Amino acid sequence: MANTETALKEAAQIEGAIGAALVDYTSGMALGTIGGGKELDLNVAAAGNTDVVRAKVRTMEMLGLNDEIEDILITLGGQYHLLRLLKARGSAGLFLYVALDKNRANLAMARHQLKKIEADLEI
Amino acid sequence: MRRALRLRAERRQMMTAEAEVLVELRRLRARLPQLTGALTASADGLVLAQDAVDGEAESVAALTAAALGVGQRLADTTGQGGFRELLVRGEHGYVATYAAGGSAVLTLLAEPRINVGRLHLEARRSSARIGELVDGALERRDPN
Repeated sequence: MANTETALKEAAQIEGAIGAALVDYTSGMALGTIGGGKELDLNVAAAGNTDVVRAKVRTMEMLGLNDEIEDILITLGGQYHLLRLLKARGSAGLFLYVALDKNRANLAMARHQLKKIEADLEI
Repeated sequence: MRRALRLRAERRQMMTAEAEVLVELRRLRARLPQLTGALTASADGLVLAQDAVDGEAESVAALTAAALGVGQRLADTTGQGGFRELLVRGEHGYVATYAAGGSAVLTLLAEPRINVGRLHLEARRSSARIGELVDGALERRDPN
């Protein structure tokens, strides 16, 4: 079992990772961040992506889809942004956010690793 | 008496920024639709500009000044430096106060579902802008 810090460290080790954050989308605040720096303000990303997650959750409710979001992929010109919603008991309302360099990242591998990080995470 | 006169003169000068501050408050409410009210008050509790806090603006401003006093002392006593912001979460929403320059504060009311991360980002930017407007108005010489 990994805590928040370990999980973020593992996320930062994903090939091509630029930054990662564990975000509470009920408040839009990050529980923890790693990497990012000047080029990517992770607190801005946490707040902004909270709106993305909330919009999708609401859309699914309105469509009457009785399902849940596993992850959301946003493809930019030079980056991939992956949002993985956490499902475990005690971590509902949280998502893991990772920004990846498109040239260095392997998307399938990144999703697989994120799934593993989620499974190990205990909050 | 002299103090009262000075305060009144100061407030009059601050009020010259009212129109611009109000524009900033409206801009902020447009960016954060879950805000239910916004006001700017002087640090001693007088309303400088307000948007949608009708009726209770005066008392919110006065209470903000009281909370600001406690917040300042608390930050000071615990060695955290000058006052920056204060967030109160009630059962039905939030009240947030941000320092705006040296002599004013920005107080916002928000729905319980608001994205607090975004609230902080937008309000910090706005309070800096309002601080510039109010401090700028205070620096301008009163023509009389």
